[in-house]
Amino acid sequence: MDLLDPSLADSVIRRALRSGADFAELFVERKRNQSVSVEESQVQRVNSGNDRGAGLRIIHGGVVSYIYTEDLSEDGLLKTADVAASVGRRGGGSFALSEIAGMPHKPQAVEVDPQTVDAEAKIELLLEADQAARAAGGEIRQVAVGYGESRQEILVVTSEGIRHQDARTRVRLMVHAVAERNGEIQTAMEAPGAQRGFEFFDDTSPADYARMAAERALMLLTAAPSPAGTMPVVVGNEFGGVLFHEACGHGLEADFVSKGSTVFAGKIGQQVASPIVTAIDDGTLPARWGTLAVDDEGVPTRRNVLIQDGVLVSYMFDRLRAGQLAHPATGNGRRQSYQHLPIPRMTNTFIAPGAHSVEGIIAATPRGLYARKLGAGQVDVITGDFVFAVTEGYLIEGGRIGRPVRGATIVGNGPRALHKIDMVGNDLKLAPGTCGKEGQGVPVSVGQPTIRISELLVGGTGVVPAGAMRP
Amino acid sequence: MNELAERLLARARALGAEEAEVYLSRGSEFTVKVFQGRVESLVSADSRGLGLRTFRERRVGFAYTSELEPAALDALVEEAIGNGRYNHAEEANVLPDPEPIEPLQGVYVPELLTYDPERKVDFALALERVATSLDPRVTRVSDAVYSDGAGRVELANSRGVDAAFERTVAYGVIDAIAEQDGEMQSGFAFTYGRDLEALDGVAAAREAVDNATGLLGARRAKTARVPVVLHPHAAAMLLGVIGSSFSGDAVLKRRSLLAGKVGQVVASTHVAIVDDARLPTGLASRPFDGEGVRARRVELITDGVLRGYLQNTYTARRSGERSTGSAVRTYKSVPEVGVTNLMLQPGGERREALLARVSNGLHVEQLHGLNTVNPVSGEFSFGVTGHWIRDGALAEPVREMTVAGNLISLLRSIVGLADDLRFLFAGGFCGSPSVLIEELPIGGD
Repeated sequence: MDLLDPSLADSVIRRALRSGADFAELFVERKRNQSVSVEESQVQRVNSGNDRGAGLRIIHGGVVSYIYTEDLSEDGLLKTADVAASVGRRGGGSFALSEIAGMPHKPQAVEVDPQTVDAEAKIELLLEADQAARAAGGEIRQVAVGYGESRQEILVVTSEGIRHQDARTRVRLMVHAVAERNGEIQTAMEAPGAQRGFEFFDDTSPADYARMAAERALMLLTAAPSPAGTMPVVVGNEFGGVLFHEACGHGLEADFVSKGSTVFAGKIGQQVASPIVTAIDDGTLPARWGTLAVDDEGVPTRRNVLIQDGVLVSYMFDRLRAGQLAHPATGNGRRQSYQHLPIPRMTNTFIAPGAHSVEGIIAATPRGLYARKLGAGQVDVITGDFVFAVTEGYLIEGGRIGRPVRGATIVGNGPRALHKIDMVGNDLKLAPGTCGKEGQGVPVSVGQPTIRISELLVGGTGVVPAGAMRP
Repeated sequence: MNELAERLLARARALGAEEAEVYLSRGSEFTVKVFQGRVESLVSADSRGLGLRTFRERRVGFAYTSELEPAALDALVEEAIGNGRYNHAEEANVLPDPEPIEPLQGVYVPELLTYDPERKVDFALALERVATSLDPRVTRVSDAVYSDGAGRVELANSRGVDAAFERTVAYGVIDAIAEQDGEMQSGFAFTYGRDLEALDGVAAAREAVDNATGLLGARRAKTARVPVVLHPHAAAMLLGVIGSSFSGDAVLKRRSLLAGKVGQVVASTHVAIVDDARLPTGLASRPFDGEGVRARRVELITDGVLRGYLQNTYTARRSGERSTGSAVRTYKSVPEVGVTNLMLQPGGERREALLARVSNGLHVEQLHGLNTVNPVSGEFSFGVTGHWIRDGALAEPVREMTVAGNLISLLRSIVGLADDLRFLFAGGFCGSPSVLIEELPIGGD
């Protein structure tokens, strides 16, 4: 079903152009979501919501004006167009917007629409997960499990005559386990998800993920405080890719580039990473969290190589920045909702696999930290300085995985760390996440194979033995 | 009571809900971003949405919508009651009774909505212009923004709560870039108030420039155990992290550092922390909370002793306490427990006097990785940026270092508080003065 009557969309665009604007675009969105949570082994919450609205963007002499509304009636939308025409500013600048080329991909296929699945089936999966986590050991004190689904339909209509749409269905599981021994508390979580229907759970067992989270929380009870100091760090695959995403990926987004507020500005063709590093942003991967048929400006997504063998090849663009920098749009113009302007964002971003096995990388490291799983982090896009929590970490001693450590953080500078990647594994995996930028959260995948960074600062409360832990 | 609420409450009752609550929010937004002397983008909108909670046999149902047409509202009632069928029944699932609410003066400045948008655009342009004119090393900014909003909340429930309030906020944000010898540093600052008139763009621009240029040439220092002074902003960010432990819900679910410690010494005797929902200058101030309970000032820690927790109606009932008016929510969520204006009370010392107490130590201006704190154990390891303190004054800038410890031991080792209280958004609207900590392990070279 159409999100909006085509003739109404056209009248709104025409009305918005009345003041002489160069370009008008209507973004219509409808999103339904449901979430279920189980805490203390009881159904805590079944919630649902319905978001529907539209955003009208006009560009006049290079100045962007944006008006949004929840009122999608004919009167409401035409009034919004009038506001756009009157509030919208006229700029003196030149105007260039990259073209939308190519046909949209098909929306991701969904076999079982989660909205048609009874809440009881979802609850049952969560209760199984809850039981599996609790069964992992008597020291599991608490388990919280959650399920989330959303279906977002979007329509982009522009004054160029483009009319593209997409439908994005996502399901996700969250498991959080807390273990306690002698007053000490450790936590662990797992959160698998995909752009699929409820059939995701045919091959994803909530109980398995719950067990993994619980076992890790128990394992961390035996961990010693992490030592602090500079050392080689082996970063695990899958969510380990958050390090590249945060500390380098954002610096390759064209809005930062066009303002010169990233160290990667003006470096196309230059060696920005060790020659064994190739990094890709690919919005076309089947069923991935950040996959799109078209981005939120109607541009079909593509596979964009960002760094090839250490050389910077491309940035990630929305239409406006692509126009400014005379580059084709890359399908990276995204927005959280109709309430937001599109800006350059990542989709599924990852470091390509290399030659080494994980075992080989560990064996080649006499001493260091194995950061098998990373947690939350923070980065300064302008400098690339980053901090990440290591949620599952081990010491590497004599080329073998040693005792687990807790409370470690890794601290460094993204662009410098890229040059210090000296081993890349062959075990590429991707993981879902929500990326925040300018107050807008969008679903993305991060990913990488296991990699080794020859030198990184590790923060922790443990004592550094004299002379130890140095490369 | 608004017509929508009346209609929804009546239908909820007709469909078998014993109690129900309607939370309606409406707001307007105006944001302008400038870059290199031109408007880059402008956003303007009026927005609204509605959340419905239903109670049936002590089971809570919830659903929200941004569609306010009659058919969508009718469907919403069925959806909320339907969701509630699955939730477990609990004696604590109740709605609050109405109580007298004192209006809050000064949080709504209607003039804000009448200004010519050009004034707002000019403010943003001036922010950028001033920031790029103060220091030759700062020739551009990455962000210069003016934004304001007006919001109205209407809350009605079947027990007779029927309340509304309006609030305005305006702010300017500037992120300046300083460059020298190929190195870039950014400096951030903001100015806020209820109204455009209350903003001080020049001071914000100056502060952003000082922050950016002050960090040029920053290096990593050596690993050490030294006294640490937290800048008010860094301390306020940290307070925001500690804030979640005051939640009565976190206590019930054993996710709080402070669980089971009421009446105990949890911080040094210098420490007093309050959550004041009626602070006239607080951007999170409100006359009533997300359930219609009277908002108030709550003393959380006094002279280092934990006095109690923040509660909403549900957590209060489960823990045998009274609601502290601490339900926080939007129309898209059920009421949770949260802080409003959370404040570490300032001390009597001047900031200079506090710094003068440190002969060799670290002044922390930015804490990175606040989201990496383990909220249950309180263990933290942050990245820090700031200046070294030598002989009681700021010396060379430092970056890419770590500071590690435990939040509870940190509260216990506070040995001084200055009189320079400042606020920022950090979960809630959090305020702190400069804080002197006896000693912390600093990781570096």
